[in-house]
Amino acid sequence: MPEARIIKFTEALKEATDQMMEIDKNIFVVGLGVTYKNGADGTTFGLKSKYPERVFDVPNSEGGWTGMAVGAAINGLRPIVHHGRVEFSLLAADQIFTQAAKWNYMFGGNNNVPIVFRINVGRQWGNGPQHTQALYGLFGNVLGLKVVIPGTPRMAKGLLVSALRDKNPVVILEPRWLFQVKQDVPAEIYGEPLHKARVAASGKDITVVAYGDGFIAAHEALSLIGEKVGVELIDIVSLNPIDYETIFASVKKTGRLLTVDTTNSAFSIGSQVISKVAQQKSLQLREAPTSVSCPNVPCPTSTALTEFYYPTKVDIANVVLRVMHEPTITRALTFEELHLAPTITIP
Amino acid sequence: MTALLDVYRKMFLIRTAEEELVALYLKEKIMSFVHFYIGQEAVAVGVCDALKKEDKVLGNHRSHGHYLAKGGDLKKMICEMLGKENGSSRGKGGSMHMIDRSVNFVGSTPILGSVVPLACGTAFEQKYNNKNDVTVAFLGDGAFEEGIVYETLNLAALFKLPLLLVVENNLFSTNSKLKDRRSDAHHVEKIVTGFGLTYVKADGDDYQGVFEKAKKLVAGARTGSPAVLECMTYRHMAHSGPIFDEEYREEDVVEKRLEKDPIKKMRQIVLDSGISEKEIAGVEDDIKKTVRDSIDFALNSAYPSKESLYTDLYA
Repeated sequence: MPEARIIKFTEALKEATDQMMEIDKNIFVVGLGVTYKNGADGTTFGLKSKYPERVFDVPNSEGGWTGMAVGAAINGLRPIVHHGRVEFSLLAADQIFTQAAKWNYMFGGNNNVPIVFRINVGRQWGNGPQHTQALYGLFGNVLGLKVVIPGTPRMAKGLLVSALRDKNPVVILEPRWLFQVKQDVPAEIYGEPLHKARVAASGKDITVVAYGDGFIAAHEALSLIGEKVGVELIDIVSLNPIDYETIFASVKKTGRLLTVDTTNSAFSIGSQVISKVAQQKSLQLREAPTSVSCPNVPCPTSTALTEFYYPTKVDIANVVLRVMHEPTITRALTFEELHLAPTITIP
Repeated sequence: MTALLDVYRKMFLIRTAEEELVALYLKEKIMSFVHFYIGQEAVAVGVCDALKKEDKVLGNHRSHGHYLAKGGDLKKMICEMLGKENGSSRGKGGSMHMIDRSVNFVGSTPILGSVVPLACGTAFEQKYNNKNDVTVAFLGDGAFEEGIVYETLNLAALFKLPLLLVVENNLFSTNSKLKDRRSDAHHVEKIVTGFGLTYVKADGDDYQGVFEKAKKLVAGARTGSPAVLECMTYRHMAHSGPIFDEEYREEDVVEKRLEKDPIKKMRQIVLDSGISEKEIAGVEDDIKKTVRDSIDFALNSAYPSKESLYTDLYA
C-alpha cells in the first residue's frame, strides 16, 4: 500500500493544474489575483514563479478577460479561467453562456472551445446575499457547457485533469465550503469522468442524491443514521449531462429517494432528479420522493440567521429516518459545525 | 498594393452577392435574419487587403462582406443562409454566424461587442505562440457603446496584443441616431488613445484611404501596438432585412448614399486608371454568373437531416 497523501481540496486543485501545465504548454491560468502568493485560495499557489509567462493577473474586467480566454481557446489554447465568486462570473455571462457554450454548435462542429471555467460557489461565513449564491441550476441549464461539482479532494483533482483533457468548455463549480476538507489523493495524474455520478456508499433502503457541500453533509449524516438504515449515497458530480442511469439503478433497488440541495429548491438539481425519477414508472417508488434544500430567500450574513439556512447533517439524517419510519435523533450542532468550513479528513 | 481591377472585383462580388440575396430574401428563400452590408464594401476590402492570409478576422452580425473580403467560400456562405447541409455551419448558424477557418475567418457573432474580447483572445494566442500575425475585429458604432469594448481596449494595450479593431460607423444603431446615444462631448479618439491604443479615422467610402491607413495600423499591431480604425460609412438598407426604411434618417438620405457609393467610386477609379469599360463589364458579368451559379448550387443543395439537430453540441 502506498503511503497516504492527505491533502486539502485546494491543494488537489493546485496539483492538477501544476501537473497538467507541465505536460501541456497550451494551458495558461487567468483570473483576479491568481499570481498572488496564496492566489485563488491557494489553488494557484506557486504557479506564477514556476510558469512566469503562463499565469496572468488581470484588471477588474471579467467580461473582457473571460472573453479573451474564450477567444484564445477558439484558437487552440487551453485557458483555465478562475472566478473567485460566481457572482463575478456573471459579469462574463455572455462570454460563458452565449459564446463559449454555443460556438461549436452554431458553427456546425469542428470549432471546439477547450476552456475550463473554475468558479467558486456557495456558502462561507459572513459573505451574505451577494457572495454566496451557488446557481447550480443556472449553469446546468446552459446547453453546450459540461458542468461538474467536485465533492471531495480526490474528485477535485480528477475532474480538473479531465476538464483539461476535454475538447469542450467545462465549468467546475467549486464549493468554497469544501476548501479545507482533506483526503488521501493519488500523487500521479488521473482523470475522473466528467459525465458520471458516483456511488459513494451502498445501501438497499434509500437513495440519497447530493453534491458538493451537501454531499459532505450527507456523508456525515451516515454515521448519525447508523446501521439500521441502508443508505445509498450518490454524488451526482455532473450536471450536464446528469447521469440518470446510475440514479435510476439505485432507486430501482431502494424504492426511496431523497435529494439534497445546498441552494434554494426552485429549479434545483434535486427538483430535476425527482422529476425524472417520477417519470420512470418502472422504478415503483415505495415512498414519495423527498428533498431538503435551503429556503427560498437569499443567504443572509448574520450567523443568527444562517444557523437556519443550510441543511445540516442532522436535518439530512432525520429526513432519512422519517422516510424509513424510524425515530428521529436530537443532536445540537456546535457553532463551528454550523458556521465554519469543515476541516475533516474523509476516507 | 492589390491591382485596382482585383479590388473592384472583390467589392463588386460582395455587392452582387448581397443584391442577389436580397432577391432571394424577398422570395422567402432565406429564413435567416440578414443584415445587409451594401454600402460598406470599401471598408471590408480595404482592411482585408492590408492583411496576409495567416492574419485572422472576426466579425459581427453584418459580416458577409468581411467574410468574402477575407476570401471566404461564396457557395458555403449562400448555402448557410439557405439553411443547407453544406453551408459553412451546416445550417446551424445562418447569416449571423459566418465562418471559414481555411482562410482564417475565425467566426462572426451577433451579440453586440462580444467579438471584441474574442478577437483579443485570438490576438493573445498569436502573441502567446510568438506568431507574427495580427487579428482584426469588425464592429459597428452601436457595439462601440458596449462596456466590454472598453474593458478589452485596456486588455489589448496592457498585453500589447497584435489587434486591430475596425469600427464601421454607419451612423445608426438599428434606428437610433448617434446624437440620441452620445453626448456632444463624446470623443472616440480620446477614449481609444486614453487606453493607450492608436486611433485613426478614415472615409469608409474610399477604398484607397482605408487600405493605406489599415496597412499602417496592421504593421503597428504586428509589433504589439494595438489600434482602432474608425471608418465613416453608410449602410444603404435597414438594420435588418432588405428594406429602405427612411423614417429615421435625416442628412443620410438615399441620394447622398448613392452619390458616395463606394462601388460606383471604385469603378470610376478603375476606369480612370485606363482599364476599358468593356473589360470592367466583362469582370462584372463573370461575377454575376459566379453568384447566380452559387445560388443555383445552394438552391439545389440538400437540407440537413433531422439527426443533425442533435450533433455538434460537444466536440
